[in-house]
Amino acid sequence: MHKVKPEMRVIFILIVLLFAVFLFIPLVVLLIRSLENDQGFTLTNYTDVWSRRDLTRSILNSVKVSALTAFITTVLGFILAYGIHCTNVYRPIKGAVRILVALPMLLPTITYGFAIMYSFGNQGLITRITGRNWFEIYGFNGLLLGYVIYTLPPAFLLIHNAFRYVDRKFIIVSRLMGDGTLRSFKNTVLRPLTGALGGALILSFILSFTDFGIPASVGGTYEVVAGQLYQVMLGSIPDFNQGAVVAIVMLIPAVFGIWLLQALEKLNFHVDKMADTPLPKHRIRDTSFGILSLLVVLGMLSIFAVMFIAPWMNGYPYDLTFTFKHVASVLESGDLTGVYKHSLWVALLTSFFGTLAAYAAALLNVRTNLRWRGITDTISMITNTVPGMVLGISYLLFLNGSSLKGTFTILMLCNIVHLFTTPYLMAKNALSRMNPSWETTGELLGDSWLRTVRRVVLPNSAATVVEMFGYFFVNAMVTISGIIFLVSAQTSVVASKIKELQHFAKFNEIFVLSMLIFATNLIIKVLCEVLQRRRAVRR
Amino acid sequence: MSKSKTFNGLLLTLLAISLVFALVGCSSSKAEESKKVVIYTNGDEEAVAAMETALKNAGYDGKYVLQSLGTSELGGKLMAEGSDIEANLITMSSYFIDSSQSKYHMYKDLSFTTNAMDSYPSYYTPILANTGSIFVNTEVLKQKGLEKPASIKDLTKPEYKGLVSIPNIMDSSTGWLLVQAVITQYGEEEGKQVLHDLIANVGPHLESSGSGPIKKVEAGEVAAGFGLRHQAVKAKASGAPIDYVDPSEGNFSLTESIAVVDKKNATTDLAMKMAETIIKDARKDLITNYPVALYQGETVEDINKPAKSMKFAKPLTVELLEEHQKFFNDAK
Repeated sequence: MHKVKPEMRVIFILIVLLFAVFLFIPLVVLLIRSLENDQGFTLTNYTDVWSRRDLTRSILNSVKVSALTAFITTVLGFILAYGIHCTNVYRPIKGAVRILVALPMLLPTITYGFAIMYSFGNQGLITRITGRNWFEIYGFNGLLLGYVIYTLPPAFLLIHNAFRYVDRKFIIVSRLMGDGTLRSFKNTVLRPLTGALGGALILSFILSFTDFGIPASVGGTYEVVAGQLYQVMLGSIPDFNQGAVVAIVMLIPAVFGIWLLQALEKLNFHVDKMADTPLPKHRIRDTSFGILSLLVVLGMLSIFAVMFIAPWMNGYPYDLTFTFKHVASVLESGDLTGVYKHSLWVALLTSFFGTLAAYAAALLNVRTNLRWRGITDTISMITNTVPGMVLGISYLLFLNGSSLKGTFTILMLCNIVHLFTTPYLMAKNALSRMNPSWETTGELLGDSWLRTVRRVVLPNSAATVVEMFGYFFVNAMVTISGIIFLVSAQTSVVASKIKELQHFAKFNEIFVLSMLIFATNLIIKVLCEVLQRRRAVRR
Repeated sequence: MSKSKTFNGLLLTLLAISLVFALVGCSSSKAEESKKVVIYTNGDEEAVAAMETALKNAGYDGKYVLQSLGTSELGGKLMAEGSDIEANLITMSSYFIDSSQSKYHMYKDLSFTTNAMDSYPSYYTPILANTGSIFVNTEVLKQKGLEKPASIKDLTKPEYKGLVSIPNIMDSSTGWLLVQAVITQYGEEEGKQVLHDLIANVGPHLESSGSGPIKKVEAGEVAAGFGLRHQAVKAKASGAPIDYVDPSEGNFSLTESIAVVDKKNATTDLAMKMAETIIKDARKDLITNYPVALYQGETVEDINKPAKSMKFAKPLTVELLEEHQKFFNDAK
């Protein structure tokens, strides 16, 4: 490989500095605050937590509801992925399922809760259509439903990708050898997927355990850790030391989970050559999986239907005549469009600088000989572990007195650090697959390193850059967990504004804003997809 | 590789870095430069609407940013941040203004005069007052064969099990009105028992919002509730089967006030002008929704005058609230 250049060092130092100041130091401050009280350093903050019944109860509740969510999500995710990979379900249905299941990712989780309320509440859309109240939505049931919708897309994607390791030849061979359905299923499908299924379980658990949006909307009196954390930090008697302890408590399962995920990674085995073996026909299996998959996806989406219907009605649920009035009033309100512009601005800043940071970090990691380049891997592991809420609180504790407080910059930085892992891995993946000798060739031809990067490496990974940009953008638009502690009246974004509107039960505004986010994200997604395709073709 | 190449590379890197900082700087200054008055309020929708109308009519449209927060959220911010708070102008439960002032001395004395009926500290003046009372759904009472309650204690009777809704003092200042009444009438010891029985009867109908109970009573989900008196009066007037009962323990009240955070700059002065506008122009709207006369010359209809107006013996402070919150939780 080529020699280390000074500009590499400069960029590397910048990236390390960025994460030192906006990841490590805040986390250390968080840890210190959790060990501190008026008398100095002590463990009493931790022992106090165990004596506060509401806190221990909320931890238990969180574990309970997250565990059940993880189980349900994994089963559903598996059914969807199995239907796509191991059945002969009509192809367009497979395609539709794959696209539709990802749609909730384009919305903030806080919207899920309101959609559930307006679907299953006393006057909800689904309640009215079916003529009955299905279940009490506030509390456990609402949380469970919200979490399942929230975690199904990522869990599905994980399992879906792992199905690449399931060789369908084995399924046929196993059948020919006379294995029963169960045995064949166990050996040829479940075994190769163990790692992915475990991963989906853990991922769903962590996501539900640390999400703030859903309990903020349908939590009711069922206390969960995220809600408690918010109350301790921003409630009537804020106690930052206690809050730091709860944040650490929230961090523990996340750390443990990520560690488990890495261990599970080893269970995945890699198949080099995958034959595209056609499956034997099996009508019952195909129809039942087709119907089941559609039911799951449509059921999930039907909950969101109300969001796209209610704001167009005069006075849902009583006056169902069509009107532009709610949408128009939001679009005319300088207050709300201002908030939308803030969101857009933060998302753009995040995706621009985030892509820059993640790409540079990956580039230095894979394509240079810098001595400490492994640090970026460690960074990406830590950013993957720290839940958004914990990060937000660390910033609050660390940067409260600084001039960064209440600026867009801090929101952007929080987002970049919070979302860093996935784009970083995307870039690493793409960059490591490219010819390692390009930089050397470039140097021989008299180009500086940066020039080679700009003229050769970057154009060849353009599709990935677009994908990274899209990831940062969409997630920055919908995230609420981290920024809820950092927004101010002058930098409020849509996701946090929705929480404020909830105070007055202004559901039309909530839904119109959600539709705006959804439409924006959809446009960005489609744009990215088109750009990626075009790049791929050109190459 | 020549020296100049390295130099160029370094230059380019530095350029990129400075660009990053410039952009970041731009984005942050964007938030700081604007001299809009930031208003934090715990007011309900009606109160916010009244204030905004007054401000807009006075030509302040676009010169302020208004942020609504829950009482506990805003209270937490006040007690934690003091004058570092983003807001220039706040409207908030008076006891929180008192407590944050004694902790941080963060408010500027009001520069305008009001003709308030009571006397208030120089740094705030009330914008509205809320009074607590019991209310019932007469239909549900009939249906369940229940007698109309006359006191909070009546609601602890076994026949009210699962049929009472009250606000939670942990989240709602309306919940505090209830606890004040109980402690004043029964003292700590018996009061704890009364609260215990009451909370047992309330069960899942312990509401985080002060308007929660009236909504549940109106919906007929419970027979009786405790909340803001004027909401019950309004519901009754609109023809709903609602009636209000001034409990024998007394009607306690809380005021919400406006105060200017002293940041010693031009924005503070503008905030002061807005405060004056709100007091001078918004009261006529506010009093229709919160019918308690606070200033000379204001009148309210007789139905809005509570039968047994009471005041808690000790001054209302955040410390007292914490004490009462603990009292409430211990009674559970």
